[in-house]
Amino acid sequence: MNEMINGTEAVAEVSQWKIGAVNLYSDILIVTLIVVMITLLIAAVMVNKAMKSILKVTMPEVVKQEAEEKKRKAEARKAGWKALWNKIMGIRPIEQEKDLITDHDYDGIKELDNPVPIWFNALFYGTICFGFIYLLVYHVFGIGMNQDQEYEHEMAMAEKARQEYLAQAANLVDENTVEFNEALAASGKAIFTANCAACHGANGEGGIGPNLTDRYWLHGGEIKDIFKTVKYGVPDKGMVPWEQTLTPAQIAEVSSYIITLRDTNPANAKAAQGEEVEKYESEKVEE
Amino acid sequence: MHLEQFSYDNKIVRNFGIATIIWGIVGMSIGLLVALQLIFPELNFMTQYTTFGRVRPVHTNAVIFAFVGNAIFMGAYYSLQRVLKTRMFSDVLSKIHFWGWQLIIVASAITLLLGYTTSHEYAEMEWPIDVAITIIWVVFGVNMFGTIIKRRERHMYVAVWFYIATFVTVAVLHIVNSIQLPVSFWKSFYVYSGVQDALVQWWYGHNAVAFFLTTPFLGMMYYYLPKMANRPVYSYKLSILHFWSLIFIYIWAGPHHLLYSSMPSWVQSLGVVFSVMLIAPSWGGMINGLMTLRGAWDKVRVEPVLKFMVVALTCYGMATFEGPMLSLKQVNAIAHFTDWIVAHVHIGALGWNGFMTFAILYWLLPRIYKTELYSKKLANYPLLDWYTRDFVLCHPNVLGCSGSGVDVERVYSGRCVEISKLLVYYFGNHSYAYDESTWR
Ligand code: HEC
Ligand code: HEM
Ligand code: HEM
Repeated sequence: MNEMINGTEAVAEVSQWKIGAVNLYSDILIVTLIVVMITLLIAAVMVNKAMKSILKVTMPEVVKQEAEEKKRKAEARKAGWKALWNKIMGIRPIEQEKDLITDHDYDGIKELDNPVPIWFNALFYGTICFGFIYLLVYHVFGIGMNQDQEYEHEMAMAEKARQEYLAQAANLVDENTVEFNEALAASGKAIFTANCAACHGANGEGGIGPNLTDRYWLHGGEIKDIFKTVKYGVPDKGMVPWEQTLTPAQIAEVSSYIITLRDTNPANAKAAQGEEVEKYESEKVEE
Repeated sequence: MHLEQFSYDNKIVRNFGIATIIWGIVGMSIGLLVALQLIFPELNFMTQYTTFGRVRPVHTNAVIFAFVGNAIFMGAYYSLQRVLKTRMFSDVLSKIHFWGWQLIIVASAITLLLGYTTSHEYAEMEWPIDVAITIIWVVFGVNMFGTIIKRRERHMYVAVWFYIATFVTVAVLHIVNSIQLPVSFWKSFYVYSGVQDALVQWWYGHNAVAFFLTTPFLGMMYYYLPKMANRPVYSYKLSILHFWSLIFIYIWAGPHHLLYSSMPSWVQSLGVVFSVMLIAPSWGGMINGLMTLRGAWDKVRVEPVLKFMVVALTCYGMATFEGPMLSLKQVNAIAHFTDWIVAHVHIGALGWNGFMTFAILYWLLPRIYKTELYSKKLANYPLLDWYTRDFVLCHPNVLGCSGSGVDVERVYSGRCVEISKLLVYYFGNHSYAYDESTWR
C-alpha cells in the first residue's frame, strides 16, 4: 500500500518537468533565450565571413601567409603525434631497418635491434603494480574478502534474508490462518503487559474488560476467535480494535499468550461473562 | 680453407611429421567422439571401455602428447640442426626417441581404455609408463644437448633457449608429479595427499601448458615465422625480456586452477597475481611474431602458411588474455564449472598449438619431400571457415551459455563437430599432397 502511494507521488513529481506545467512566463523566457542565441550565432558567423572576404580583397598576401603558417603547424603537429605513437609502439620507419640489423645470422634468420615498445613495458609494470595492490587489498588492508570471509558474508546475507522472509510470513497471518503456537506466548506476554493489562488485569483476571482466564467467552475462546476480537475490537463496548497498532504477527503472539492463560485461576478474578465453553477444540482432539 | 661436409637428418623429421598427422587424426576423431557422447549418450556403446570417462583422457593425452608432442619433436629436430649448423648428435638416439615415444602413446591409449589411471589430469598414465616417459625424455635431452655441444654456431638462437627451457622444466615437472609408490604393476599411490597433492598436480598441470604447449611453440615460432615470411625477427631485446619473464612467472601461476578450494587463501592470491603478470610476457611472444610480419602483410594475404601462423599467434594472444581474466576469483567463480574453461583450452590448444602445427606441416613437408602443396585453395578453406565459425558463432555462444546450464554441452559439442569436419578437409589435403594417401 505504502509503496503504491509513494509511486504515485514520484509520477506526479516527474510530470512536473513537462513544458507548461510550472510557469508560462519561464517557458517564454527559455524559448526567447534560445532564439536570441541562435540569431547571435548566425550573425557572428556571417560577420566573420564578411570580414574574411574584405581581408581577401584588401590584403591578399597576409591571408596567404596565414594559411601557409596554419598548414605548416598542422603538419608539424601530425608528425609529432606520429613520432610519439611510433615511440610508444616501438616502431621505427621501415627504411631505417638496415641500421637495426644485428650481426646475428642463424640459418639465414636475422634479428633486429628494435627497442621494447613503451606500451609493452607499461603493460608489464602495470600488471606488476596490480599484483602488489591486489595482495595488499586482500591480505594486508583486509578490504577484499578471502573465501572464508566470503562464505561468512554470504551466510549472513542469507540469514538476514531468511529472517526478513519469516517476519513477513508471520505478518501474513489473519483470523483464518492463525494457529496456536506456544513459542510465541513469551513475546505475547510482553505485548499483553504493555497494551492490555490496564483493562484486563496483569494476569488476565479482568477489570474494565472481561476475565480472559475462565471458560466463559463473549466472542469465542478459540485462537481464531480471540485473534479476530483483538484485531477488530468491540468498539461499542470499549474493546479497542488493535489492527492499526499491532502487526498481524504481534496479534498472533498475544492471542497465543491468552490461550496459555486458560484455567490459571488468578486472584481477584472477575465474574464470568458470556457463554461457557465446555470443550475447546484442542480438548476434543484429545478424546 | 678446409671445407666440412655434413648433412641434416631429414628422415627423423619426416617420421615425426607423419606421426603428427596420424595422431592428429586419431586424437581429434576421439575428440569428436567425446563431443558427440555429450549429445548422444548411446555413443557410450554400453561397454566400460568406451564410456566418456575413459575416452575423454584418451582424447586429451592423444592430442597433447601424441599430436602436439610429435609436432614439437618434428619442429625441433628440423630447426635445431639448422640453427646449430650440425646434424643431430646421434641418429640412434633419434630413432630410440621416435619409436619409444610412439610405444608410450600406444601403451597409454590401451591402459587408459582398460581403466588403469592415476586420476591426475594430463598425468593419468600409471607408473611403468611414467618411467618410460622419463627415459625417453632423457634420450631426447641427451640428443639435444649433444647437438648443442657439437654446434658450428657460436651463439644460440632464441629458439634453442626455448627448447632448453622446455626440456629442463618438463623433466622436473614430470618427475616431481609422478612420485608414486607402486603396489602392483598397474597400480600405485601418490606420495602426496590432500591439498599438497592438489597443489603439486596443478603446478604440474599449469606448467604442462607453459612448457609443453607454450615454450616449444614459441621456439618454433622464432624459427619458422622468419623463414616463412623471409623477414628479420622484430626485436632481439624483446625476445630476451619475454623469455626470462615468461619462464620465471609461469612457474607460480598453478594455484589459479584451485581457486575456492581448501588451499590457503594466500596461495590462491599468489596464483592470481602471477597469472595477471603473465599477460605481458605472453604477449611479448605474440607481438614479436606479429611485428616480424611487418612489411610482409602482402604475403600474408596470399600464403596459407602465414595465415595459419597469424591465426595461431592471435589465438595465443587471446588465450593468454582470457587466462588471466579467468584467474580472477570473481570471474573464476562463474566460469570454473562451465564450458568456458573448455573453450579457453581449445582456443589455446587447437588455435595456437594446432594451427601452428598445421602451418609448419604445410611448410615443412613440401621441403622434405621436395614437392609442392597439392592445393593452396584447399589449404585456405579450413582456415577461413574455422575462423568465422569459431569466432563469430561459437565462442560467444559458449561464453553466453556457460552460466545458464542445460544447453551448454550441446552448443559446445556442436562447435567441436564443426571443427572436426574442417579437420577432415584439412588432412584430406595433406594426404593428397604427399601421396601418403592411405588414410584419406
Ligand atoms: C480500554 C480497555 C481495554 C483494553 C486496553 C483492552 N481491552 Fe480487551 N476488552 C475490553 C472490553 C471492555 C471488552 C468487552 C467487550 C464486550 O463486552 O464485548 C474486551 C474484550 C476482550 C476480549 C474478548 C473477551 C470475551 O469474553 O470474548 C479479548 C480476547 C480481549 N479483550 C483481548 C484484549 C487484548 C489482547 C488487549 C491488548 C492488546 C486488550 N483486550 C486491550 C477492554 C479493553
Ligand atoms: C577436432 C578437434 C577437437 C575436438 C572435437 C575436441 C573435443 C573435446 C571435447 C568434447 C572435450 C571434453 C569437453 C568436456 O568435458 O565437456 C575436450 C577436452 C579437451 N581437449 Fe579437445 N577437442 C579437439 C581438439 C583438441 C586439441 C587439438 C587439443 C590440444 C592440443 C585439445 C585438448 C583438450 C584438452 C586439454 C581437454 C580437457 C579440457 C579440460 O579438462 O578443461 N583438444 N575436447
Ligand atoms: C597467461 C596465460 C594463461 C593463464 C593465466 C591461464 C589461466 C587459466 C585458468 C584460470 C584456467 C581455469 C582453471 C579452472 O577454473 O578450472 C585455465 C585452464 C586451462 N588452460 Fe589456461 N591460461 C593461460 C594460457 C593458456 C594457454 C596458452 C593454453 C594452451 C595452450 C592453456 C590451456 C589450458 C588448459 C588445458 C586448461 C584446463 C585445465 C583443466 O583441465 O582444468 N592456457 N587456464
